[in-house]
Amino acid sequence: MPIAIPPHRPRRPARSFPVVAVLLPALALTAPAALAEPTRVDPETGALTWETQAHGVSLSLTQLLPDQVRAFYLNRGFAPDDAERFALACVSMTVLRNDAAPGELSFRLADWEVRQTDQALALPSLDAWLSEWEARGVPQSARLAFRWAQFPPEQSYAPGEWNQGMLATGLPPATRFELIARWTVAGQTYEGRLADVRCAD
Amino acid sequence: MSAAPTDRTALRWAVLLILLAIASAGAGIGAELPPLSHRLNVLAEPAPAPPLRLKDIDEVDHDLADLRGRLVLVNFWATWCPPCRREMPSMERLYQELRDRGLTVLAVDVGEDADTIFAFTGQLDPAPTFPLLLDPDAQAAADWGVKGLPTSFVVDPEGRVILRAVGGTEFDDPAAIEQLLPYLPAP
Repeated sequence: MPIAIPPHRPRRPARSFPVVAVLLPALALTAPAALAEPTRVDPETGALTWETQAHGVSLSLTQLLPDQVRAFYLNRGFAPDDAERFALACVSMTVLRNDAAPGELSFRLADWEVRQTDQALALPSLDAWLSEWEARGVPQSARLAFRWAQFPPEQSYAPGEWNQGMLATGLPPATRFELIARWTVAGQTYEGRLADVRCAD
Repeated sequence: MSAAPTDRTALRWAVLLILLAIASAGAGIGAELPPLSHRLNVLAEPAPAPPLRLKDIDEVDHDLADLRGRLVLVNFWATWCPPCRREMPSMERLYQELRDRGLTVLAVDVGEDADTIFAFTGQLDPAPTFPLLLDPDAQAAADWGVKGLPTSFVVDPEGRVILRAVGGTEFDDPAAIEQLLPYLPAP
């Protein structure tokens, strides 16, 4: 029985840190949302990229077209139905880079949120995806490839360090949303925002 | 029963063209990459390196503990990972430049098999001549605290992790080489 990942799961404060979770947006040093227009258009695929810089950190999302995602996972052992499930989950190539933050940054994707029509949504967690793939019978080697291809659920970057990976919002194709990324440096929370991002279709 | 080395090589070449096409799916996903880093991060508190005992793609055993006295770059990577693909030629150039002075490079592939790696390295210029180790269940990556690929560590001749690089890095950049030279004997 597959474990469904609700595509529009409302964000709830973590039980163990309710005050922090409620106050986090208010305490964070925010940056203006990036321009609504994408920063780049891939001339070959038409995939759009949105990018912003905030507090010495750069963040970008590049649309991954469903055909790209489907091919990637079919080639790594996913069955067609399973690859299709993820291909239609609004997947972006996400890059976060510590260009010149005032120290090592740390982030948890559990602190990030997606806003869509005034509703704040949590990102589907890596563990939830992995549980779903296991329940659907995706081979272990394919699940391993999936795990390492995703943007890490948590990580720390010293100045100059960065990483990239796939990030799925679980929203339907062509949906528009705002991504709010949060990270901490020396106990201070910072935010970067990408506005009017569009899921590939 | 395992295939003889010549048979294994022939088999690898036979699947090369097929796997090249498969690998290209991952490469295409990595368009519009950010620049590679040019320096490594100095760890404030060097710590003993975790154990690393793995077979390479030719089924030869490697143990980091046997490399005491050498400077070792340990790189965790995968063939489908765009920044891993970009940084690997720079690791080979670094290796060519410093191996005679005491640098060893161990590239640990996470979760793939030898044929997949062979197909990928056949595309590289320069192709890697350092050991390509297999971490089929990602246990070594977990032991080393790797969260994402690529991630690299430099282990000093005393077996301590002294430098780290998260994200793709141009390892033969003069700034990166400058960070390694103090741990190597003079030529």
